[in-house]
Amino acid sequence: MSLLEVKNLKVHFPVKHGMFSRTHEFVKAVDDVSFAIEPGETLGLVGESGCGKTTLGRAIVRLVEPTAGNVLLDGEDVTRMNGSILRARRRKFQIIFQDPYGSLNPRMTVEQIVGEALDIHKLTDSKPARQKRITELLKAVGLDAIYAQRYPHEFSGGQRQRIGIARALAVEPELIICDEPVSALDVSVQAQIINLLRDLQQERGIAYLFIAHDLAVVEHISRRVMVMYLGKIVETADAKAIIRDPQHPYTQALISAIPEVDPESKRQRIILPGDVPSPIHPPGGCPFHPRCPIAEERCRTEVPAFREVAKNHFAACHLAGTKIDLPRNPARREAV
Amino acid sequence: MNLLEIKNLKMDFGADAEALRAVDGVSLVIGAGETVCLVGESGCGKTVTALSIARLVPTPPANYVGGEILLNGQDVLKMSNGELRGIRGGVVSYVFQEPGASLNPVFRIGNQIRESLKLHKPEKATNEEVIRLLKLVGIPAPESRIKNYPFEMSGGMQQRVMIAMALASEPKLLVADEPTTALDVTIQAQILDLLSDLKRRLGMAILLITHNLGIVGDMADRVAVMYAGQIVELSPAKELLRRPLHPYTKALMASVPKLHGTADRLSAIPGNVPRIGNFPPGCRFAPRCPIARPECSEKIPELVEVEAGRFVRCPFWKNERENITAEAPRRGDK
Repeated sequence: MSLLEVKNLKVHFPVKHGMFSRTHEFVKAVDDVSFAIEPGETLGLVGESGCGKTTLGRAIVRLVEPTAGNVLLDGEDVTRMNGSILRARRRKFQIIFQDPYGSLNPRMTVEQIVGEALDIHKLTDSKPARQKRITELLKAVGLDAIYAQRYPHEFSGGQRQRIGIARALAVEPELIICDEPVSALDVSVQAQIINLLRDLQQERGIAYLFIAHDLAVVEHISRRVMVMYLGKIVETADAKAIIRDPQHPYTQALISAIPEVDPESKRQRIILPGDVPSPIHPPGGCPFHPRCPIAEERCRTEVPAFREVAKNHFAACHLAGTKIDLPRNPARREAV
Repeated sequence: MNLLEIKNLKMDFGADAEALRAVDGVSLVIGAGETVCLVGESGCGKTVTALSIARLVPTPPANYVGGEILLNGQDVLKMSNGELRGIRGGVVSYVFQEPGASLNPVFRIGNQIRESLKLHKPEKATNEEVIRLLKLVGIPAPESRIKNYPFEMSGGMQQRVMIAMALASEPKLLVADEPTTALDVTIQAQILDLLSDLKRRLGMAILLITHNLGIVGDMADRVAVMYAGQIVELSPAKELLRRPLHPYTKALMASVPKLHGTADRLSAIPGNVPRIGNFPPGCRFAPRCPIARPECSEKIPELVEVEAGRFVRCPFWKNERENITAEAPRRGDK
């Protein structure tokens, strides 16, 4: 049985124009998303801002209420839990946030921040045991125990993210939602945190849903990767396969748009026209068709099915597998 | 004569005993039509260096304690306010990281672009010219867009407006300070493409500030790597990416995950970026450097030309292990 199973999850936010008007429009932030995570594995989730990836992560831990669908954790439906049961089950799934500055209470010491989780779930029975556990947790994330009495403002961004990780680890979760955990950090510190997350996974068998907009980071840490566009999953495959052989034109463009350090790279860049459309009025048919370089007539009218295009490789595109072949901005390479 | 020559620039924040050195002896030359990238992590002084070119850092708190910034041969640090008004926009224009915060929310974008024209090209302050500029930066239907307020546009479109505004006065140098950091990758690709294209068509020089080494390969002719207020490596861009010389540049490149990467663990740089006022003695990278020796912490090394066009601030750049990819101490924090 999968550790986490998400079935047809939808999160729709009502849009109101004015204080008394009725709702007649919705932002479909997450629209019919299904996937599963096995124990101890990392599933990557990539997408541009506004595609709904953060909302999806938050809906799984019920920080936002799902509109429809099920989230099964160890077979139990999280969307139907209430009050004390939900609180007790939250021991199994934790979340790490993007902003290491906003996500720690500035008035609490590190000991209080990490210890709060222990107290809520009554995980230690005596003061010395609590102390010992906090020291262990700080050590596990690479912080010295002498930091326990300090406040968040005394730490750098990378160290704060370690505190956030220690807080999540305190309850020994089976799943951690990592919502852009490194994108606010300096490049030289990002690698430290990514390595730390990998080490912790190997030691403790924690599963991650790793949300990020940087495909290279996600490829590095994940076994499987999902690509999200306008509230829907458009492609899922093994991390290596999705980079080597992307099937959906959006994924192809996304990969080609990543600036590459290698000066010998002959890779050509696919530059998508336009912006991500508004999720209030997503385009009909395939939601990607207005920006898609290979869109056909049926893409405008028929919603493509999410189908298996190769073994364990799924994509929502009528033309999945068609390589984008166009005069890819030849001016660009000349200019360099 | 070079378009821009920064010579041994030193800038403090605060004065006397409380002075914190933010820029410490930066020298940089940009020729006409050249693209130079300034790369570094947060707090390394790259933004204040760039802002100093048009003296946009208020004094006080800033305090220029040494050096010269020659723009077309004239020292910006000695200019009067009137002269500064002439070069701001006239010779140097800026594009900043957050287009949403740089645009005035209560004016239509057409008016904001026209304001720049009124100052520098009064005879051209017309709607037609504004529309031409918006077309130049690839904004569709510019005739109707000039009536938009900034909030009605996406981040990518706002950044195009900022670029149009910067180009209005036909500057010789465009300083782009992390112009794509707040944007998504597909939009980032659009904006970088636009900048390359504009540079080719208009022949202006670009100083591009970024923390993303990937952008360097695409855009730059030359690149300067900054660390803790100093340039640690200066080199033609392709050569730097092919064969970085300074241990910091090497470590930085090794710590970025690469597509098709095979490494199981990333080679992280231990420790944290030093904050201003807390720079370590001697070589500032020494506490995090895998090849540091005791003498590294005694004296700040000079930036030396070690090969044609390649400058490195590390006396041991050569006689060290070929690759700094060895694993940093596990979970070493401090």
